[in-house]
Amino acid sequence: MIYLDYSATTPTGFEVLDTYNKTSKDFFGNPNSLHELGVKAKNLMNSATKQIAEILNVNEKEITYTGGATMSNNMALIGVAMHYHKKGKHIITSKLEHPSIYQICNYLETLGFEISYVNNDEDGLIDFDNLKELIRDDTILVSICAVNSELGIRQPLKMIRQIIKKENSQTIFHSDMTQAIGKVSISMHDVDLATFTAHKIYGPKGIGLLYKNSNVEISPILYGSGKNNLLNPGTPAVPLIVAFSKALRLATTDIEKRERFIERLNEKIVVALKKYNGVMINKTKYSIPHILNISLRNIKAETFLHALEEYEIYVSSNTACSSATLSSSVMAVYNDQVRASSTLRISLSHLTTTDEINKFIYYFDQIYCKLSGLHH
Amino acid sequence: MEKVIFIKYGELSTKKDNINFFLKKLKENILFVLDDLDVQVTYDLGRMFIYTKNNFDEVLARLKNVFGIHEINVGVVIDSTDIEEVKKEVIMLLKEKEFKTFKVESKRTNKKLNTTSVELSKNLGAYILKNIANIKVDVHKPDIVVYVEYRLNNTLVYFDAIKGIGGYPVGTLGKGLLMLSGGIDSPVAGYLAMKRGVKIEAIYFESPPHTSIEAKNKVISLAKKLAKYNNELVLHIINFTEIQEEIYKNIPHDYLITIMRRMMYRISAIIASKRNAKILVNGESIGQVASQTLTSMNAIGEVVSMPVIRPLACFDKLDIIDLAKKIDTYETSILPFEDCCTIFVPKHPVINPLKEKCREYEKIIPYEEMIYHAIKNHEVIKIKAKEESNEFKDLL
Repeated sequence: MIYLDYSATTPTGFEVLDTYNKTSKDFFGNPNSLHELGVKAKNLMNSATKQIAEILNVNEKEITYTGGATMSNNMALIGVAMHYHKKGKHIITSKLEHPSIYQICNYLETLGFEISYVNNDEDGLIDFDNLKELIRDDTILVSICAVNSELGIRQPLKMIRQIIKKENSQTIFHSDMTQAIGKVSISMHDVDLATFTAHKIYGPKGIGLLYKNSNVEISPILYGSGKNNLLNPGTPAVPLIVAFSKALRLATTDIEKRERFIERLNEKIVVALKKYNGVMINKTKYSIPHILNISLRNIKAETFLHALEEYEIYVSSNTACSSATLSSSVMAVYNDQVRASSTLRISLSHLTTTDEINKFIYYFDQIYCKLSGLHH
Repeated sequence: MEKVIFIKYGELSTKKDNINFFLKKLKENILFVLDDLDVQVTYDLGRMFIYTKNNFDEVLARLKNVFGIHEINVGVVIDSTDIEEVKKEVIMLLKEKEFKTFKVESKRTNKKLNTTSVELSKNLGAYILKNIANIKVDVHKPDIVVYVEYRLNNTLVYFDAIKGIGGYPVGTLGKGLLMLSGGIDSPVAGYLAMKRGVKIEAIYFESPPHTSIEAKNKVISLAKKLAKYNNELVLHIINFTEIQEEIYKNIPHDYLITIMRRMMYRISAIIASKRNAKILVNGESIGQVASQTLTSMNAIGEVVSMPVIRPLACFDKLDIIDLAKKIDTYETSILPFEDCCTIFVPKHPVINPLKEKCREYEKIIPYEEMIYHAIKNHEVIKIKAKEESNEFKDLL
């Protein structure tokens, strides 16, 4: 098997799984319980949270565990909207977001919120002037992802924050950092709210977190019992939390070394695929090497995906969840219907080997020749 | 020129005969907090010098928590007392800095220099003006202050003065036993005692099942925060259940707290003398609660003969809270777990307890025997400031 879809999800690390199993077995107590078993589980959970807080360089209280990135995004966007709707009903986001952000924005629109979509330049970078123009007195929230999931475009969050806060110091800045964590360095000082998930960093599925700066208030969208997790009440998922903490620690060591290695693999693929007339490389100077997007002229991306699958090579087309439609991110950057209608995403990891890339390039050639021949 | 961290002792410099003992202890304490970093520490009577290759920020951050340090500077040592040489070196240092205005502050411990500090400052200032273009002297609000200390064998030059935490090196004034309850006040009291050079051990009274493990864990984490200033901290945990229940069953309820405190004082004094501690320290503040009225303090204090130091006696609650926040114990202290002072609370505790009554009531219970028993079975935990190895390390 050659897995090249690490941006969709990652295989859970052995050590992470081991932590999950041991915690489930030896620390099954409910951390909300007063007895020894509960206290033991709570202490472990607190140590796990402390480790995450140290890695993200934030206060432990600024961390809320969630069911994953989609839930974090919901809690952030709806939470801000509910809390500040009396101050304003204007929200800004980009054209390079994960679909979950758009779905939440659509919902908020039905409640009377106004959504603006900030432009980006031809390299995918947020258009700072346009952002400045869009921010108003009643803009309560700006949500811009740190790294785009399809093209891997990385946004300069620090600069974006400066622009936002200069125009309206009350506006809250949220960033979906799902595709950034473990791949590039990030700073929580750049944002007020941030979304993370474990399964993109070799952690288990079903656990994510929302970072909320302690100076920012949002309304909970979930209600229940539990004193320590006001935004997401109920019994904390201790084994998932501890496994998440471990995955985060493992994923954030040697980021630069891993990035340099992945950069080489990325280059290798780009060089090999450039020579095909029917292949367009959707890469700008802001794309991170972990994500490589290409467009196929005259070949349906989905057909190509299934052809690769025959050789146990796994990539994704457009995004994993929404295929056969136009890629909104490719559209936003290239404004080209043909380009956006058939895209493949090859996403790489430090686990990827040079041999795997060689094989991918070999089979890509075979399939390309066969499928492009059909159309002529 | 090598960048060096200098430490000024301040109040310590008034200690004449035993200053070497103080300095030895300070060096020991500094080495303790820096033990995992690559540093060298030397000292003479005026200054302590810390050499490190690449850990400046970390060293500075940790030194801010060491008692006995009044000022920290980062600068260079010039191995010369020749004024002309010093001038040249200062110019070299200043050329790396950006500034428009400056002033010179000189200090002269080398009294052989046949001039005054003011003259030295003027002289150097003039030289700087001559050698660096487009700058001015501003004695009120300069961009940069050039501090120069002309010493017997060398000269120190630095540009920043960071305020140290002050006080005396912990341990230079012997040992005290802190009555640590888990509330807001007692950790602050412990901190202030340590600041005056007292090495602290702590005593905590638990009453399971009336108090929970969480209450005990809370005290352990408070002790850990205090251990940061104390190198390590020995925590004595007394099982107080039997005594407390006996008191509750047999003694009129308005005197519950008074008698309970008398028992705690007795036990503390015994533990203190066993551990060679010379004083008891606690977080009592005049008038705060019924057991802290002057009459109560009098009635409770009579059971021990060693001094009871109450660093917070004259503090307002809000000031105590500010300090607790500063030393990062507040958030832990306000965690809502019952401790043994909050269980068995009478509706109307006596505000002016009579010593005679206390003595009379106490005769009802066999307290000497119970105290002997509690001390014999007490638990001792050594708390390290640094987490040795997390108990969950293999999982995380």
